[in-house]
Parts: sequence; structure tokens; C-alpha cells
Amino acid sequence: MRILIIEDEKSLREDVVDYLTENGYKCDFATTIKSAMQKLNDIVYSCALVDVGLPDGSGIEIVEHIKKNNPEMGVIIVTAKNALEDKLQGLKIGADDYLTKPFHLSELSARVYSVLRRRNFGGKNSLVFDGLEIDTTEKKVIANGNQLQLTKKEYEILVYLASNPTHLITKEALADAIWGDKADMATSFDFVYSQIKNLKKKLNEADLKNYIKVVYGMGYKFKD
Amino acid sequence: MKLLTKSNIYITITTVLLFAMGIFIVYQVILLKLDREVDKQLLSAKEQIVNGLNDGISPNEFLANIGQKIYVKKVETQTIFDNQFIEYIEKDPKDPSSNGDITQRELLFQTKVNDKIYEVTVCSSLSEGKKIGDYIAVVVLIFLVVSVIILFLLNRLISAFIWSPFYDTLSKIKTWNIKKNEILNFKETDIDEFHLLNDTVKDLTHQIQSDYHNLKEFTENVSHEAQTPLSIISTKLELLMQENNYNDKQHKLLVQTYNATQRLYKLNEGLILLTRIENKQFIETSHIELTQAIDEKLEVLEDFIEAKQITVEKCYNKHITKDVNAILLTILLNNLFINAIKYNLEENGKIKITVDEDSFSVENTSYIDKINRQFLFDRFNKNSISGSLGLGLSLIKKIVDFYNWQVTYSHKDGKHKFKIYM
Repeated sequence: MRILIIEDEKSLREDVVDYLTENGYKCDFATTIKSAMQKLNDIVYSCALVDVGLPDGSGIEIVEHIKKNNPEMGVIIVTAKNALEDKLQGLKIGADDYLTKPFHLSELSARVYSVLRRRNFGGKNSLVFDGLEIDTTEKKVIANGNQLQLTKKEYEILVYLASNPTHLITKEALADAIWGDKADMATSFDFVYSQIKNLKKKLNEADLKNYIKVVYGMGYKFKD
Repeated sequence: MKLLTKSNIYITITTVLLFAMGIFIVYQVILLKLDREVDKQLLSAKEQIVNGLNDGISPNEFLANIGQKIYVKKVETQTIFDNQFIEYIEKDPKDPSSNGDITQRELLFQTKVNDKIYEVTVCSSLSEGKKIGDYIAVVVLIFLVVSVIILFLLNRLISAFIWSPFYDTLSKIKTWNIKKNEILNFKETDIDEFHLLNDTVKDLTHQIQSDYHNLKEFTENVSHEAQTPLSIISTKLELLMQENNYNDKQHKLLVQTYNATQRLYKLNEGLILLTRIENKQFIETSHIELTQAIDEKLEVLEDFIEAKQITVEKCYNKHITKDVNAILLTILLNNLFINAIKYNLEENGKIKITVDEDSFSVENTSYIDKINRQFLFDRFNKNSISGSLGLGLSLIKKIVDFYNWQVTYSHKDGKHKFKIYM
């Protein structure tokens, strides 16, 4: 799956490209509207990540272009914080999702995964691992042939972790993903911790011992 | 005590004392003069009597001519050689039942006329003179009272008039708000001291205002400019954490750095939010039904409430709709509820939410003691519990102030209660 990243901030762009590449996506990047348009005309992408504030104009232009010429493509817009107008406009003209800067890279990866799944790219409706299958359409988790009974939050955490395989997910990223900035850090960490504990217990009971690894003080890793 | 009252009291006391002393002295002087006058009369009567006796006129004859009461008797030997004045008080002979005593002054002398020794007593009443003295004292007293009253009133009037620029200045300083960019204009005054005061206050407020704005701008800039590098640091650290081959020491350092960065980031976010509220960047409002907003918020926080097994009691006495900014209301409720959850008991915790016609309150059991009210809503106050950013309550206060609401805190039976009057 090929993803186009349109972002002019070098540092962020490099991080995004590196991270998504590690997650198994093929990544191209563009830094201006002009170069983005060129790439979009040459290559078929599954998803584009569009920063609204670009040096030669608004990324909204690119979103419009994509929706006109290639409506099948997934689009995630990235806006500066508090630019509510951009966000609303972006969603109105057909962007699939939005992220506000700054974001956790794991959050981006999870959003990309979610957009691609919704757009049904690669016919992939479930995440399949050794002995574990997460059916994201039915919201079911099958472990060694048996369905796991997970709470809503446990399921969300599992999907988030699974959409960032082999990466360390910080507890902050996980807390942000599940409650946004609505919850207080300390409280949500405790909660994340207890949820992960339950999740691990349920996976253990289904003989899936090593899927979630706790990295002391940092966060969690899915399938090392 | 007011300056006016104080100065008036001193002036009044001094006046009264001076006048009282004056009356006393005047009264004494009058009495003294009176005595002298009476003595003179008595002596002149003596002269007439002696002359009369010398001329051989029988005492009974001239007694009628002299106004005073005179008693003359013959004695054998002369025992008194000078004039003796005697003063005594007796009952008024005309009206013995009354209390009106009469003061009498007598001149007693013995004189030798034609080898006969006479003892003469000349009597004169002092009462008439005393009465006049009393009258004078009363008049002066009335004059004193009237003049004290007049002085008092006049002083008040003049002082009020003179001090009016001062009070004007005072009231203007009192209502002065550093956040409103207003310039103080004081009442014109021709009193140098007040003029100087006004000028000083003007300069001072101007200086404070400009310092305040510089400081505010600086804080805003710092917060905003710090945001981007902070998020870069945060992202890079996350990437660094993806590496596997750290030893324990490196791991620990990384975790500590990341945690501190996250804390700083959240803190900065909070400060920016405070600034944005202060700068009135949340003006668009919508009709929001309070109990509905509370219910929605509780649903979001359900996980945390359940995790701590807290019982939530809702007491919705009224359904009120407010025109508020949705974001601000969310932040307000969020902070109130998060505090109520975070600091609640580990077991059998309770939260009670009451909504009334013009207020709502959140009451919760807690493991922490009563909070010191004085700094309750200050940023990073000393009561701050470790792990908290110290901004939650000041955010609540800021939002409450923004809408001119009131927030009160009370602590009863181990329960903390925040009540917001809307």
C-alpha cells in the first residue's frame, strides 16, 4: 500500500515517513501543492496525508483535487491545533479523518490503518496474527479459534496496539487515543494499565502469551 | 474610622474642653468681682455709719437711709479693731421651704464714738450677683453647645468638600482593573497634595499596566513558541524509545526524560488554554442544556468512575439551558469531575451532582483533607498534590470568571463540594 505524505516541515515529515515505512507502508512525500499534484497524477496512492498549511497554498486544494479525480483514495488532513475551520472544511469536502498537530506517530498509524480498512483497500477487514484474528468489521477477536470476550475499551486498545505492530506505544499515546485530551494523565494511565492487565490475562487464558509486552515506564508493545 | 470623623472628634473634644475652661474662669472672675463690689458697698456703708455716729445721729435714724441691713449694738470693750468679712449661706427667709439658699456677706466692725463702743454688722446679699453669674454661665454654655454643633457641621462640610478629590481618587483606584486597558482620569483639584497623589497614582498604574501587558505578552509568546519544539522533542523521544537495545540506565533516563517532556507539554497546553480564555477566544456560544452536558461528560468518564467503583448520585432539580461556549463548558465540567474522581476514595467513593435553578454542585468523598481556601484557585499553589499539574482549579476559576459566575468551595463531613452559581 502506497501512501503520499504532503508535509513541508522536514523533521515531522521524516518521522512520519520512517514510522509508516516501518509499519509496512510504502511512502512518498511532497512538500508543496505543485509537487503533490504531480505525484498524484503519476502514481495511484491508497491514502494521502495532507497538511493544510503548505507554503504555496492550502492543502484543502489537494483534498478537492483528490476527491474529484480519485474518490476511492483515503485522505487524512493534518491541521494546526485550534484551526477548527480547516478541520470542518476538510471533512466537508470529503477527507476521511483529521489529525491536529502535534500527534503521536502511533495515532497516525492507527488512523491510516482505520481509513484504509474503511476504504477496503487490499480486501483486508481483519488483522491476522499467529493465533489471533481481529475482525474489525464485526468487532470480534478470535484467539486460537475461540472468541474473546473483551470490553469496548479492551478492544479499542487491542486494535490500536495491533495497528502499530512491533512499535512501542507510549501510555500517553494510548490514553490520548482512547480519551483524547479529555482525561487527566495520571488517572488515565492507571486505567490504561488495568485495561492492559485484563487484556493480557484474557489473551493468556487463550494461550496467547506474548502478544502484549509491557515496556517498563514507557508503554506497550504488540508482538515483539 | 474615617479621617473626617477622627479629625472632627479631636476638634470637638478640644473645643469643648477650651470652652468649659473658659466658662469656669469667667464664672470665677465674675464671683470675685462680685465679692469686691459688695465689699466696697459694705465699706461705704461703714463710712456712713461711722460718720453718722460721729455726728451724733442715733443709729435708728440713719438705718433707714442705708440700703443694707445693719445691726448696731453697744459693747463694753473693743475686741475687734479691723474689718471682718464673713460669708455664709442661709435659707431664703421669704421662702424657707424652697431649696434656694441665699449667700450673705457681712462686715463686722467695732468703732469707738464719743467713748462709746459700737459693734456694727452690715449685711448684704450676694444672691442677685450670683444669679447674674449663673445667667452668664448658662448663656455661655448655650453658646458653647451651639458653636460646637455649628463647628462640627461646618467642619464636616468643609472637609467633605476639601477631601472629595481624594475620595474620588480612592474610588477610582478601587474599581481599576489591570486587565481592562483603561486610563485613570481623576477629578481636578487645586490642592497640591492631592494633585501630587493623582499624578503619582496615574504614573504608577500606567507603569503597572505596561508591565502587566509585557509580562502577559511574554508568557503568551513563551507558551506558543515552546509548543512546537516541545512536540518535536516528544515525537523524537517516542522514536528513540522504539529502539530495543538500551541498558537499564539508558532506559531509565529515557523514561524520565519522556515523562518530564509530557508533563511540560501538558502544562504548556494548559497555560495556553488559560491565556486563550483570558483573551476571549471562546466567544461563540450555543444553547446547552446543563444536565445533558453533565450526562455526556459522565459517560466519557464512565471508565474511570467504574474503575474506582464510585457511586454517582444525580440530583437534577431543574433543567436549565445556558448560552455558553461548548468547549469552555466541557473544560469546566471535565475539570470538576476529574478532580472528583481522581481525589476520591479508593473504596466506596461517592460523587453527588446537584443541579438547581441557578447553580450546580459537585460533591465528593475524598482521601485528602480540607483544602486551604486562600490559594485554592491559584495556579501551582502550594496545596498542589504531586502528579497534578496544578492548573485544574485555576481553569475552573477562569471559566467561571469569564461568565461572571461564582464558584464556592466547602468541606463538610469529609466531603469536598464545589458549587457554581450561574
